[in-house]
Amino acid sequence: MSGDIRLRREFIATSLLLLVLALLPLAMRDVYWLGVLVVSAYFAILASSWNLLAGFTGQFSLAPAAFAMIGAYGAALSAAYYNVPPLIGLLIGTVSAGLIGLVLGRIVMRLRGPYLALTTLSFAEIVRLVASNSINITRGDLGLPLEPWFNDRVIWFYVFLSALTFVICGLYLLLRSQAGLFLEAIRDDEIAAARSGVRIVFWKTAAFAISSAAAGFAGALYAYFASLVTPELGLVQQTGLVVSMTVIGGMGSLIGPVVGAFLVYVTSEWLRDVGGWQLVIFAALVIVFARLFRAGLWGLVITALAPRRKLA
Amino acid sequence: MLSGALAADLAVNGLVTGLFYGLMAIGLALIFGVLRIVNFAHGEFYMVGAYAYTIIAARLGVPLFVALPSAFLFGAALGWVVERTLMRPLYANIGSWGLMRDEYAVIVTFGLSLLLVNLVDKAIGPYAFRAPALVSASRVVVGPALMSGQKVAAAVVTLAALALIALFLRFSYWGRAVRAVSQNRLGASLAGIDATAVSSLVFALAGGLAALAGALLSPIINASPDVGAFPAIKSYVIVVLGGMGSIPGAFVASLLLGLVESFGAVLVSYQYRDTFGLVLLILFLLFRPQGLFGERGREV
Repeated sequence: MSGDIRLRREFIATSLLLLVLALLPLAMRDVYWLGVLVVSAYFAILASSWNLLAGFTGQFSLAPAAFAMIGAYGAALSAAYYNVPPLIGLLIGTVSAGLIGLVLGRIVMRLRGPYLALTTLSFAEIVRLVASNSINITRGDLGLPLEPWFNDRVIWFYVFLSALTFVICGLYLLLRSQAGLFLEAIRDDEIAAARSGVRIVFWKTAAFAISSAAAGFAGALYAYFASLVTPELGLVQQTGLVVSMTVIGGMGSLIGPVVGAFLVYVTSEWLRDVGGWQLVIFAALVIVFARLFRAGLWGLVITALAPRRKLA
Repeated sequence: MLSGALAADLAVNGLVTGLFYGLMAIGLALIFGVLRIVNFAHGEFYMVGAYAYTIIAARLGVPLFVALPSAFLFGAALGWVVERTLMRPLYANIGSWGLMRDEYAVIVTFGLSLLLVNLVDKAIGPYAFRAPALVSASRVVVGPALMSGQKVAAAVVTLAALALIALFLRFSYWGRAVRAVSQNRLGASLAGIDATAVSSLVFALAGGLAALAGALLSPIINASPDVGAFPAIKSYVIVVLGGMGSIPGAFVASLLLGLVESFGAVLVSYQYRDTFGLVLLILFLLFRPQGLFGERGREV
């Protein structure tokens, strides 16, 4: 099946999923669970942006949480020191994460596999350590407080859902264009892609910058939601969650990270009452999926549907 | 600025810290040499060793010279199981990852790290565990420096373990097999070396060494589920500095990092002391990916 049809099918499925989510507040107004959905949407943006790098371009970064933290601090610092309104703060967070991603992406362009993972992991740790140790600027681990944008959880839910929709549409348009072909060509064989005239440096750096900007956007939005920004946003464990969600949902598909994020986060909140073994289960699932079902849950759905299609 | 006595004290402390780093980093370098992957769960073997030692020694009341080897064996067994179950697709063409074997390795070891941390957190508890002391002496004078007895005892065992590993790699059949496979897996296989067994051996050895490091340091740094994160990051820095996969390089880089951190904390900035190594790692990967002693020409 051609990639174009596959991508369109994934986009339609994602849209349906988002539509179902958008109808949820009609049936459920519980403040706690709306908060859970908001955080799930935050992770869905992070996972989708990481998927652009890892799943579609083959650049296995371990810094998505760090870029979210950069976006969050961009918003929080500009609000704390220059009293910037939320919309501008959001823009500052997104752009600063994007610019830093552009520079880092350009620097790590040549690195692959374990080397890229190590470099991005070190970068993430450096950023987090600097944020938590620069106490006179960031207040360290105490975190920076922020004026909340709204207080109504329903509004927040729709804000995050629109942000997620915006990111998904952007990714769809990007991947459907020629750029999507270039990125996948780079992922599958960088040298062959270069020989066929794909501008490797440009596209790899662009993917890194776009992914970082999206993560920063999510982080900045989350900062206004949580009204407190701490270095904990950039912990490696947060990146671990993002990777888990993407792998469980299905790496390299448009819908996988969204499904993974909502599934993992909502179930883990739900299982919290039953003893809190949720993280153990999800970590085990990551290993099982990586080892046996590389295409994730979405891949399983596709293979389950495929034979029936042949019969019809 | 720096008195002679302080400098000597910093040097001795830095070198001792470096020895502990070495115990962690050499396993990582062995794994990289043979399988060409970075084990992102390396710190969790350290954590498992710390718990194994603490529980065996404190709960069962077993003497020290039994508890420490048990921690090693526990880590080695875990390493062996992990290699058998999860690392085989890296060289046996199982699964559908094909060209993305590097990515598979990152995901699986990263997932393993999450699994072990959370498993211990749930099964044993998130609070820190106090381990029984290695020796009863509280303060020992080492040359110009004054050090805790625990640290000295741990350093002596570490030195012994490192010497044993060096002898093993240099002279034994399996040691030479490990070096042969890290030089050329196919060539070694053609010469009749069982590369699959070597891969298992290396993972077991690395797991055992990291567990031993955790056990030795548990009287100083109490065991907790995330105690492995810190030594793991140090050993990533070290294998990059020493040249990925180079054992002597990893050893020298360990001592060097110990010294850099010990002096850097006093001379440059205490606040940012943990970032020095990471900055070095990035600079090295960008400008000298073969490390201080590694060979040129390895693909990055």
